[in-house]
Amino acid sequence: MENRLDQFVRLSALLTGFAPLHLLGTGMAETYLRATDAALPDGVLDELLDAGSLPSAGSAPPTGSAVPGAPAQPGGSALAGGADPDAAAGQAIFGDAKLGPVARALILLWYRGAWTALPQEWRSAYGASPRDVDHVVSAEAYQAGLQWDAAGAHPAGARQQGYGAWASPPAALETESAPGTTGVRLPRQAGAPSVTEGARS
Amino acid sequence: MAFDIDSSAIFPIGAATRTTPQIAARKSYDVVIVGGGVSGSILADQLSQAGHSAVIVEAGPGKDVQLDEYEAYLSRFYAASVKDNQAPYPFNPNARMPRSADAMPVTPQTPDDQYYIVQDGPFCTDTTFTRVLGGTTMHWEGKALRMLPEDFDTASRFGHGRDWPLGYDDIEPYYRQAEQELGVSADVEDQRYLGMTFPPGYVYPMRKMPLSYLDQVVARGVDGMRVDLDGDRYDLRIRSFPQARNGVPNPDYDGGKGYQPIGAISTYQVEEGKRCQGNNNCVPICPVQAKYHAGKTLAKALRTGKVDIVTQAVASRVHVDKESGRISGIEYKRYQDPSSPEHTTHTVHGRVYVLAANAIENARLMLASGLPSTSDLVGRNLMDHAYLLRWALLPEIAGTFRGTNCTGGITELRGGRFRERQAGFAVDIHNDGWGWATGSPYSDLLAIVDGQRKHGRDLRAALVSQLSRQLLLAFMIEVAPEPANRVTVDRRYRDPLGNLKPVISFRVPEYSLAGASFGFDLAGQIFTRLGAEDHTTYDPRDYSYVEYAGRGYSIRGGNHLAGTHVMGKTRHDSVTDPAQRSWDHENLFLVGGGSMPTIGTSNITLTLAALAYRSASFIDTQLRTEKAPAVISAR
Repeated sequence: MENRLDQFVRLSALLTGFAPLHLLGTGMAETYLRATDAALPDGVLDELLDAGSLPSAGSAPPTGSAVPGAPAQPGGSALAGGADPDAAAGQAIFGDAKLGPVARALILLWYRGAWTALPQEWRSAYGASPRDVDHVVSAEAYQAGLQWDAAGAHPAGARQQGYGAWASPPAALETESAPGTTGVRLPRQAGAPSVTEGARS
Repeated sequence: MAFDIDSSAIFPIGAATRTTPQIAARKSYDVVIVGGGVSGSILADQLSQAGHSAVIVEAGPGKDVQLDEYEAYLSRFYAASVKDNQAPYPFNPNARMPRSADAMPVTPQTPDDQYYIVQDGPFCTDTTFTRVLGGTTMHWEGKALRMLPEDFDTASRFGHGRDWPLGYDDIEPYYRQAEQELGVSADVEDQRYLGMTFPPGYVYPMRKMPLSYLDQVVARGVDGMRVDLDGDRYDLRIRSFPQARNGVPNPDYDGGKGYQPIGAISTYQVEEGKRCQGNNNCVPICPVQAKYHAGKTLAKALRTGKVDIVTQAVASRVHVDKESGRISGIEYKRYQDPSSPEHTTHTVHGRVYVLAANAIENARLMLASGLPSTSDLVGRNLMDHAYLLRWALLPEIAGTFRGTNCTGGITELRGGRFRERQAGFAVDIHNDGWGWATGSPYSDLLAIVDGQRKHGRDLRAALVSQLSRQLLLAFMIEVAPEPANRVTVDRRYRDPLGNLKPVISFRVPEYSLAGASFGFDLAGQIFTRLGAEDHTTYDPRDYSYVEYAGRGYSIRGGNHLAGTHVMGKTRHDSVTDPAQRSWDHENLFLVGGGSMPTIGTSNITLTLAALAYRSASFIDTQLRTEKAPAVISAR
């Protein structure tokens, strides 16, 4: 049976567009699971995790890694396959009045390393946790923010690319111009934590 | 060698705490310096190397700068929700710093004057300065442009501003000294424009920083662009900016001796910082100390053993001897705990006194002390560069958000005959995208996730397209001195220690707005040449919104504060002489941007550092003269 962290990572992969290995590689998965639990009323995250585990959500092919060059994923792992999400499953979650705002907060958490407070209407309808306030999870979380990776850059002040690297074309350009590629495939940025160093599960 | 510590660069352990207010009060120093920023540090270094004793009175904390304080700044930055240019530095009500979000009008009717700068209007500036050991060089970006020769006599030449009592040639040797100390990376071949000269064979300490890929994309549209203005023809090109940031040392420096970059001065990251890594975080803090900050100079000064520092000590009064006009002491308020207004009051004494606390704080302290001023110019002629931002999306991925904050820009329009009508400017290409204007990348992420409801691969595709194509041009526009733009104090506005807060009255001169208007149109032409999609909007509700000739603009402050104690040729039309010595108090030097009669289109730090070196020689001479045994002639 899939444990809760695996479930959380698989859902996160569906929402963020980053492969489970990339998410685990940030070293932040467990921290974010705890932060999300703390920021939500009891049971809400489990509802979202269940919605992310529906058959349609798991139908993505396991070859959908968004990280070319990353090591092959462990065979048969329940983590495989979340990075090329079934858009319908995602849209179903996004369209849900209760789960949609939580899913968006989860994306922002991964992309920024910061929790973004849920809308007041949501809190009135479904309950409020005292930890549901805008906050950067930690100094490490900021540095692990995926928004920079998604832009082919690096967090301002961390995971820098080295002297003069700024003069070369960005990695995003090489992948975008490659014929036949669909979507945006970014090579791993130099300096990003490796899977072996960063994985915590 | 595995562990090669260049010990001369390390901040001496315990040096910032070895003096107590009680010990300092019993001593008589050769020099008392208010402010541990770049000017104060250069003077402490130069004068202590010459054998004089000095004490620095610093408002901010600085007890552990040699060990973990720098790291604490960095951690605070990473964890801060709002990453403005003061984000790394702790909130300290006793030495409160202005923050860019503080720009709001304050009147006696406003319920509480909750911020440090009291804005008397009509324009509300979002200018800032940093009150920690190292001063604003902790957060500065590090651009190190020289002023143009024509910037030193704009009144005679163009009918705007004030003439300096010095010319480019007088300051040139001190520019070289400052370029050495600050560690400037640039190529002379790039900087020899609009009349700037260098001695034969001179090279900068380090090679120029490479232009970013974004600069190169912009250059494809800009290079060769022709501008005709008032009979002068300009062929624009993207040029690398001189930066006080460690690059590749030039082996030809100093007649072939080369240059040794100074990296981190704190022991925990001792092997870092000898070369920029492209953190894209110059402002508000370089994670590896590859960018110059005044702590590097201060460390040298402290190693002489002749410099004491008292931190958490906010200068509150300059004592003057009414008979002689000489300064007799600096009174300060020492707090133990930044969160409590409890303090003790102490006075330090010396032969020569130096106010080096920045243009706003120097004027504030002079005015709060009620010091007489023959010229009535203390606090007047406040200047700061006016920044106009214009931003667009390029038609292609340009790799934005990489590199130093800014590597290149347009500098041709800094000078020329058009300055009879409108201000000059330098244009920065921002490697950090639209961040300054819109809050990117967070604002973009929010728009895509919350607004467009994108997730997964669609989200990633939208984000790279939105971020990596961003182009922000920042026009750094000349602001000429106007006596009505000023710092004052008002007994109704005090900080928690009871010190009077600075009250700022400011309006953006029309001369600058004429430059802004021209810059706005130029940016539009550049966007057209690049096929870029303009996204510029200015909010009329912005406190920094101004209208000019039928259009509105948001004008940002540059934190290049100057003019509040201008130097000049006589005591009637200036506050200091060309040595930055007060005309009214012969043992008082007012140093920093405040002495600059104009700021042209140069970020002020390099020039004020050059002026500090120049003043150091005058102070040294004055001290030697005063220390010399009195000769009593027998009659």
